[in-house]
Amino acid sequence: MFHPRLAVSAFSASLLLAAAGLGATSSMASAQDVIRFGAPLPITGPLAPEAVKQQQGYDLWAEQANKAGGIDVGGKKYKVEIVYSDYQSNTPRSVQTTEQMITQDKVNFMFGPFGSGAAKAASTIAEKYKVPMLAATASSSQVYDQNYKYLFGTFTPNDTLTTPLTQLVKAKAADVKKVAILARNDLFPLAIAQEMEKSAKANGLEVVYFEKYAINTLDHSATLSQIKSLNPQWVFVTGYTNDLLLIRKQMVDQQMKANVVTMIAGPAYQEFIESAGQSAENISSASWWHPAEQYNGKDIFGTTANFVKLFKDKYKLEPDYAHASAAVCGALFQMAIEKAGSLDRDKVRDELAKMDVVTFWGPVKFGANGQINSLEPPVFQIQAGKPVVLFPDAIKQGDFKLGVN
Amino acid sequence: MLAIQVLINALVLGCLYACIAIGFSLVWGVLNVINLIHGSFIVLGAYLAWGAYNSLGLSPWYALLIAAPAFFVFGYLLQRLLLNRVITAPVLVTLTLTFGLDLILNNAMIYYFKADYRKLILNPPTGSISIFDVVVPVDRLIATASALALTFLLYLLLRRSKVGRAIVAVRLDRDAAVLMGVDVKSIYAIAFGLGAALAGCAGVLMALIFPISPLTSSAYLGKAFVVCVLGGLGSVSGALAGGILLALVEGVGSVYLGPAHAVTLSFVLLIIFLVVRPQGLLGRKGFE
Repeated sequence: MFHPRLAVSAFSASLLLAAAGLGATSSMASAQDVIRFGAPLPITGPLAPEAVKQQQGYDLWAEQANKAGGIDVGGKKYKVEIVYSDYQSNTPRSVQTTEQMITQDKVNFMFGPFGSGAAKAASTIAEKYKVPMLAATASSSQVYDQNYKYLFGTFTPNDTLTTPLTQLVKAKAADVKKVAILARNDLFPLAIAQEMEKSAKANGLEVVYFEKYAINTLDHSATLSQIKSLNPQWVFVTGYTNDLLLIRKQMVDQQMKANVVTMIAGPAYQEFIESAGQSAENISSASWWHPAEQYNGKDIFGTTANFVKLFKDKYKLEPDYAHASAAVCGALFQMAIEKAGSLDRDKVRDELAKMDVVTFWGPVKFGANGQINSLEPPVFQIQAGKPVVLFPDAIKQGDFKLGVN
Repeated sequence: MLAIQVLINALVLGCLYACIAIGFSLVWGVLNVINLIHGSFIVLGAYLAWGAYNSLGLSPWYALLIAAPAFFVFGYLLQRLLLNRVITAPVLVTLTLTFGLDLILNNAMIYYFKADYRKLILNPPTGSISIFDVVVPVDRLIATASALALTFLLYLLLRRSKVGRAIVAVRLDRDAAVLMGVDVKSIYAIAFGLGAALAGCAGVLMALIFPISPLTSSAYLGKAFVVCVLGGLGSVSGALAGGILLALVEGVGSVYLGPAHAVTLSFVLLIIFLVVRPQGLLGRKGFE
């Protein structure tokens, strides 16, 4: 027996869901004294956890800016409004969403979508409409090699993470000769792994294993058995929290030991440290920012410590680099707009281009291609359940410890 | 030595895959419903184990005793109240309905548990045993043993009990079963309940091994689907055969072709089976 009523109601329910999704993007503010920022995010789909982080960063900045009365544009205060839209972890849709935000939602300025791939795709639209776009989570240099005028990003290129790490290992662990590299077959994790391969070879290390694993791999036991049989002293793995938790657990299961185990990007996240427990000990990593940094910024958040405190008060969790980068993008827009004294997109763009300022995120200066070139990303290691900064020396908190069991 | 280690890894992993797939195979085989909510049931079972351990201090072995009846009731009601209404409609309708239910359950889990990845860490850890350099993690061994036990229990139930025979009868010939006085709607509900209970138990066991997040449900569902096609529907041992075959192909593939191609290889195998042997390794009509 077929029940057409059920089918119809299921269909109309899905229509409703779709409408609700659209509704979120088109909540028009009628007030004049509002600056609208468009933020396309992968709110649903596999990248959803990343969207949450960026959203929390933007929201914290908007809340702080509005609490202080808003953004000062030539003596008049404007409230901040962030327009969110879900592109469902689907890169082509992030492009459509960006265009829709600029043409229909009439946003003044844009934040980039998550990651390098989507940011590169969406930046084309921002460039076409001459809307300044700040990308909070795009690191690959291929995003910026188009030499767009309106795109700026707060992540340094990937090799700025792997080079200091390799030099540190080289200096502290002379008997590390063989490296095994395992990478998630995905834009950012693979790019980092390729940079690692280059850094390792440049520093005279032998790369005994370099392989990619597929997204959604449920089991790594065969791969890890093979790596174990090659006896590397340094195991370098890239991926996201899920992959790295699983791989770390399976390394323990297989009784794999190495002098150095590096994982990017998991250990930068508190959830990795909590979920990995004892097995996170002595895992090293690198990221673009760390809550232990101590910058005295000129932005709305001021010091790094103040940003961390505000964030913890609001969300009851430790911020990581993704949260911080999103928040600093907001703060940078605010500084550029206040300096320009106008909402004119070209004037704000020019202010961003010549920006040279210290923020809670670190020193901010963009290169000619729009990518930040002033930042020195920290290398850190999990020691006694806490991340400890090892590099740069100015903010160093402890010494590199060898041996991961 | 590497070859033996890879083989042992694959055998253990194969039993885990069977554990993931067995409930899915039962529902597909008996009800002819491709139950897309299966992956989310497994994740929900994993959260149950995680919550019971972290807030009540209950070990996952006890969580199994809660999960089995709770998921049975949940599955039974779902079939009774919703799926039974469309069970005789073309397969696309039940597929759409379970798809919709999966969206609801999965998003509800994202809402309540967040999309963060969690891990059930036993204290003290169970560790691994090693014999002549071949290492086997104890938690995987336990999960494997439990998976085999659950499979055997299901086999006994279908073979020996009155309800079990009725389930097999409905699968073989629905109309004849009705004539023999079998209450088909209630048998459907019991079979779906059993499938849900098996998924819930699988989830409890997987919580020991894999990170827990609502986002992993599709990975479980994908494995269950491949295992069923490889092993064949309609037999308890089919899930086991399919699971081990899949794990072997993935393991050998990732050592000799690289891990990026292991998944590709398993799907190539899936296509070959669909073309050459659509009934799977041990598939048959009915459920024995």
